[in-house]
Amino acid sequence: MMNILVCIKQVPDMESRFKVNAAGNWYEDTDLAWRMNEYDEYAVEQAVQLKEQVGAAELTVLCIGPERVKETMKKALAMGADKGMHILDPDSHQRDPMTIAAVIADYVRQHNFDLIFTGMQSQDRGSAQVGVLVAEMLGIPSLTTLVEFSYADGTISAKRELEGGSRALVSCNTPALVTCQLGLNKPRYPTLPNIMKAKKKELLTAPLADFSPPELQQQTVAVFLPEKRGGGLILEGDPAELAEQLLKIIKDKTTVLA
Amino acid sequence: MEYTREIYWNIGQSLGVLLPMYLLAIAAVAFLTYQFSRRIKVYRQGQPLDRCDQWPTRLKQAIRGTLLQSRVLYQRLPGTAHALFFWGFLLLFIGTLLIFIQADLTDPLFDVRFLTGPFYLWFSLILDLAGLVAIVMLAGLLIRRTLIRPPGLDNIKDDWIIHGLLLAILISGFIIEGARMAVTELGTPLALWSPVGLLVANSLAGFEEATLRSLHQVTWWGHLLLAILFIAIIPLTKLRHLFTTSTNYFFADLGPKGMLAAIDLENEETESYGAATITDLTWKDIFDADACTSCKRCQDRCPAWATDKPLSPMKLVKQVGEIAFQQPQANLPETLERDVIWSCTTCLACQESCPAAIEHVGKIVDVRRHLVLMEGEFPGDEVTAAMEQTEVNGNPFGLAFAGRGDWAQGLALVDANTENTDILYFVGCYASFDKRNQAVAKAFVTLCAAAGIKVAILGKTEKCCGEPMRKMGNEYLYQTLARENIENIAATSAQQIVTTCPHCYNTLNKDYREFGLTLPVQHYTDFLADLIKGGQLQLQPQETRCTYHDSCYLGRHNDRYQAPRSLLTAAGAQLSEMDKHGRESFCCGAGGGRILADETIGSRISEVRAEMAAATGTGTLVSSCPFCLTMFEDGIKGADLSDQLTPLDLAELLVKRLPAA
Repeated sequence: MMNILVCIKQVPDMESRFKVNAAGNWYEDTDLAWRMNEYDEYAVEQAVQLKEQVGAAELTVLCIGPERVKETMKKALAMGADKGMHILDPDSHQRDPMTIAAVIADYVRQHNFDLIFTGMQSQDRGSAQVGVLVAEMLGIPSLTTLVEFSYADGTISAKRELEGGSRALVSCNTPALVTCQLGLNKPRYPTLPNIMKAKKKELLTAPLADFSPPELQQQTVAVFLPEKRGGGLILEGDPAELAEQLLKIIKDKTTVLA
Repeated sequence: MEYTREIYWNIGQSLGVLLPMYLLAIAAVAFLTYQFSRRIKVYRQGQPLDRCDQWPTRLKQAIRGTLLQSRVLYQRLPGTAHALFFWGFLLLFIGTLLIFIQADLTDPLFDVRFLTGPFYLWFSLILDLAGLVAIVMLAGLLIRRTLIRPPGLDNIKDDWIIHGLLLAILISGFIIEGARMAVTELGTPLALWSPVGLLVANSLAGFEEATLRSLHQVTWWGHLLLAILFIAIIPLTKLRHLFTTSTNYFFADLGPKGMLAAIDLENEETESYGAATITDLTWKDIFDADACTSCKRCQDRCPAWATDKPLSPMKLVKQVGEIAFQQPQANLPETLERDVIWSCTTCLACQESCPAAIEHVGKIVDVRRHLVLMEGEFPGDEVTAAMEQTEVNGNPFGLAFAGRGDWAQGLALVDANTENTDILYFVGCYASFDKRNQAVAKAFVTLCAAAGIKVAILGKTEKCCGEPMRKMGNEYLYQTLARENIENIAATSAQQIVTTCPHCYNTLNKDYREFGLTLPVQHYTDFLADLIKGGQLQLQPQETRCTYHDSCYLGRHNDRYQAPRSLLTAAGAQLSEMDKHGRESFCCGAGGGRILADETIGSRISEVRAEMAAATGTGTLVSSCPFCLTMFEDGIKGADLSDQLTPLDLAELLVKRLPAA
């Protein structure tokens, strides 16, 4: 039996109206629409595909956060995860990546997973550290920013996205951790019978304290909305003239032609 | 002299005649019954569905449809020909029945003969003319099939057999009559009461009596055999529509018009949703295929078919029948094909025009439901994305739900939670988020203000009504949205709902009733027309020319054709109708959830419609639906008609007619 874990995070929809909270260190919770972190959707999809491939496998979905994250976990269960582990933490948004990773690693140590899937990064904090930190803490290999994934006989073969559009082929043996990038797959739309079944799947909740969270090493001091920049520039005239103007702007204001 | 004729003249009422005649008739009826009983087994593969409730209404509907040919007459020319032929043939059938009753029942048993005297004269004249009308109409319909050949009217073997057989029966009838009259009636006043028979008799007058008697006898037996053959082949050919189409009027959907059957999502026993195989459809869906006569009226009006998409409602219905009869194991999405299933805009033009009361749309949505709910499949990724965005933010654009009411900033709205309001305006996603349609929402609110109407909106607690999702097959998402909206509406003090979107209107006014919404719901065109009638809203008419596009969900789905036109008149607009207007209106392409999907096959429906509007030469295309307006904004650009045609919502036209304050 293959034991697979997928770690997900609930994030606000990026189209939401963000307001800085009263403490000035994170966004306000009200008027936000919550959803699964986009990269975690790729992770869930890949984990479910792997489970379907190997047959004898159990897929657990793990999520840290307040009560409301259960809604997002249900989507992962509807997509095909077998059971859920909710680590209840109303203040998860204040934890640094190191704390989150340590909590996950602590959970993993108790359960012996063969393979761990996470998103490449979260859409809200965007540190892209939790996955690799978990692997490091567990002393297992990690493959990051995957855009292709295959598995056979205990070996993962994958394609990573590198800077500038190049790709790297990598492979490693399990146990391992992989982080998933856009382009890896197309997350499925849960079917109705699976949505119904998900409601009855095991979804355990345990407080954060059970997983020996370490002291915070990093604190968010302040968050703020980006300053409004000047508006766009609309050029008018005939094409030849426009080209001249555009070229002048590019020369003056950028280093493209330098 | 006594006006009558000798029944069985020249044939005799001997056992040698009666026995073979009745044996053949009984055999034919037995064969027909057996064949239909076999077909009934095939219908019964489908799911149960109660279509015998309210039977007096249904019976009335069946009689109206059959005897008055009300649905057949929807299409003027071929409809009239069919109706006249039917009435002619029906009279001949009744006439033959009367002869049977007198000759073989009342006369031998009780010595009662009623085919005499003045009644016989009229009987004779009416049947004679009925035969003539039937022949002329049948010939006309045959000419249409063979020489005029309207596109899409495919001839199959059945058509030749039926036309040939019916013509042969009618013509042989006149030969029998003519031969008999040539011997017995020529020169008597009685002959004048059978003018067509007289014509035949005169042309036969030169023959010897013996020849005429032989001709009469041979034709009589031939006519009998043809009639027996006619009965026997009813279940084997399109003639079966005599029974199936008339019965289908009885089984027809009693409404609300176009409303889909809800899926019970609470039932935990259910493991399969939608239609994957023929047994997932209802018996009525299979029966519909047998009621279809391939008249192709639906196909002629289908916006998908007209723009080179693979969907023909007629072919789809026929194919459902073929699957039920020949390959009941077949997978419906595979066999009917996905592109066919996704092409439908649920515009209802097929059902509105169908002379057989067939329900095309429900079948399509049932297959969609299977694809969506069981396979997680949509016609494209853009549709999947729209569904997910609606789940998260309550609108298919994926814009922040909290900003739903932003369009109304600066407008004098009341808060429905704390104050009394005259109406709750259910804004809908397009008028809430789409810039172009926000102008319509503002125009509507301004018109209300001018009439002294207090308007409230739900703001960020309003969600998509769920109509496009439901029509796309996503019943689960639709029901989730419906329940939330109903709950949020119930939390207000509103007593009346008005929508600017016909899709919201249709959904709230019909579909939401199943989940307990009881408040009256009006589309704004009805609401404003009432305000004008009541004198609350005054407009300053100002001349302008325009054409009006009936949106499918205001028109065919709800039969609202008058209010928008009365508003146009009140605004002083000179309306030039497009050829396809009213019940015949041509969809903009956005219905059936297609507003969420890219139109990748064939030409664009919206462009075809824009061209129809441009052809009126009025320069303005007025509609009263945000989907239509959105489609026309694109369609007019796509068809390169921007310099000839401007799309406008009716509310935008009206707001310019408000007297200066």
